[in-house]
Amino acid sequence: MNPILSIKNLQAHFHTRRGVVKAVNGISYDLFPGETLAVVGESGSGKSVSQLSYLRLLASPPLKIPGGQVFYRDKDLLKLSDAELRKIRGDKITMIFQEPMTSLNPYLTVGAQLIEPLVIHRKKAKSEAWQAATAALERVGISNASNAMKAYPHEFSGGMRQRVMIAMALTTEPEVLIADEPTTALDVTVQAQILDLLKSIQKENKMALLLITHDLGVVANIAHKVVVMYAGRVFEKGSVDDIFYRSEHPYTQALLKSTPRVDRDDKILPAISGNTPDLIQIGSGCPFYERCSYRTDLCQAEFPQVRLGLKGHERYCHVEKVSS
Amino acid sequence: MNSQIPSVLKVRDLKVHYALRKSLFAWGSTPTLKAVQGVSLDLAPGEVLGLVGESGCGKSSLGRALMRLQEPSGGTIEILGKDFLSMRGKELRLFRRNIQMVFQDPYASLNPRMTVSETLAEPLKAHFRLSYAESQTRIVKLLDQVGLSKGSLKKYPHEFSGGQRQRIAIARALILEPKILVADEPVSSLDVSVQAQILNLLKEIQKSLGLSMIFISHNLAVVKYISDRISVMYLGGIVETADRKSLYEKPLHPYTQALVSAVPIADPKIERERKRIVLTGELPSAENPPQGCAFHTRCPWVVPQCLQEKPELLKTPSSTHPVACFEAGKSH
Repeated sequence: MNPILSIKNLQAHFHTRRGVVKAVNGISYDLFPGETLAVVGESGSGKSVSQLSYLRLLASPPLKIPGGQVFYRDKDLLKLSDAELRKIRGDKITMIFQEPMTSLNPYLTVGAQLIEPLVIHRKKAKSEAWQAATAALERVGISNASNAMKAYPHEFSGGMRQRVMIAMALTTEPEVLIADEPTTALDVTVQAQILDLLKSIQKENKMALLLITHDLGVVANIAHKVVVMYAGRVFEKGSVDDIFYRSEHPYTQALLKSTPRVDRDDKILPAISGNTPDLIQIGSGCPFYERCSYRTDLCQAEFPQVRLGLKGHERYCHVEKVSS
Repeated sequence: MNSQIPSVLKVRDLKVHYALRKSLFAWGSTPTLKAVQGVSLDLAPGEVLGLVGESGCGKSSLGRALMRLQEPSGGTIEILGKDFLSMRGKELRLFRRNIQMVFQDPYASLNPRMTVSETLAEPLKAHFRLSYAESQTRIVKLLDQVGLSKGSLKKYPHEFSGGQRQRIAIARALILEPKILVADEPVSSLDVSVQAQILNLLKEIQKSLGLSMIFISHNLAVVKYISDRISVMYLGGIVETADRKSLYEKPLHPYTQALVSAVPIADPKIERERKRIVLTGELPSAENPPQGCAFHTRCPWVVPQCLQEKPELLKTPSSTHPVACFEAGKSH
């Protein structure tokens, strides 16, 4: 099977007065149809920027993409004109964001915003689009959808607004849905509802879901495959079980151990010492070098080549064997 | 909790109401938002009490009321056996050193124009007559305790990362050697890898100083890690209080059960097999809370009594710990 989205050696840098912020430093991964891929990392890992950069949702300048390719089917998205990209973005590839409070237009009714993708991308008549959008709202679990279409965003709670956002991203039946921290701003009981909704929609539509998150619990709940990022680099890729039970990267392991869990009775949390590195001063070595308990001189000098494990489990680490 | 030991903090029927702005043409009384509706709690010396709940449950309002950053609308607060709410003026100002707070956002809670040394010296100046050398000795000693070097003294907040700033905020709260620390979401704005450092620091300091702490958070895993006992809040009231183990293993209140079951666990095998209790409906407005039990609009066990009467937070013969539910402990 061919990937629906393939990121190859993508770089994204911000040119600021302080210097060049190297937010993404050559990352590669594939997204296949019908799978949920979680990109997990802490703030500053580049997990969001990498998506926003090739979708041209960031101001350029300061953003520059000095290298890489991003294939949607056989098209390199980085080589398309703005007009060509616009035909794909919002139609074949759609996105939902973290803040359902700020990603809807407060001046327009929910309906007016929901029909836009269909009117623009599918050239549907407004009445026809209205019907389709009402159906989409019903599908995401909004009761009384025809009234909801006429309401304004402020009339909805956070969870409901996120449902509206999801409905909006689904009206064109995209092949790829990118969800950037879709439940981070929501309460846990609402988060559980939204995760269930995303899971059932992903299954039903057989679309590819790329989920950006920092929450390992969410990853365990929803993902089939996982990409672990840190300071603009991919550290490890694999199936969700590879990452949670057979991780061979010191950072992934440390991250899993330092996360408090409701089902555990930790006496002391094994914390990762130090702080995330400054992305301006980042060199050619492994960015986790200073915080890593396995570090060698080689780690400081160069970023490791990929080490292949079983069934597509990949890690980027110089260390031969990492005990778990 | 052992009832022989007098509690350092004793709260009875505390209420926090916010007056909302009345429409120009509205009749009748000013509408109020009832953020905290009659909360009672006790904190033992050296104990960590976690307050957990979702947004709008009143946990932060309760925390601020304990500090008198927001004047309570009713009820009593007793700190170290003294009536805190009747204190005024100088007495209040001096007494406040006993209860200190750490806030959520270390980017907003530190004065950007003050160096670390100035930030930490200010409370000392207000409360003690110390020579410069004496106060510096205290500050350096405390900085070391929170894991910051002497070199930080002359630096400004913007020179530090989020985690380091939270260390400064913790040092500021501890410099007056309080008996009680109120921490309101102290790790929520931090990354996972830094969060563990700060949690460990708080736990270590709490133990070594024998501090009593109120730890407010929406994160059930974090609360479990740090607390001895945990109170779950819903719509301005405590619905259940239990020691950390029982709360997660044997939650009695239907809301606690739903809450605990909704938290995703970072273990795919467990996640695949877990059954979730899904709550229907939305959180009612605190401006116009439901009659009777606040949870009855979403409760799977609702009986007619719940619509009429408000259940009290009580330990019943059928329950192992205090719970505010008529139906708790019965089979459902």
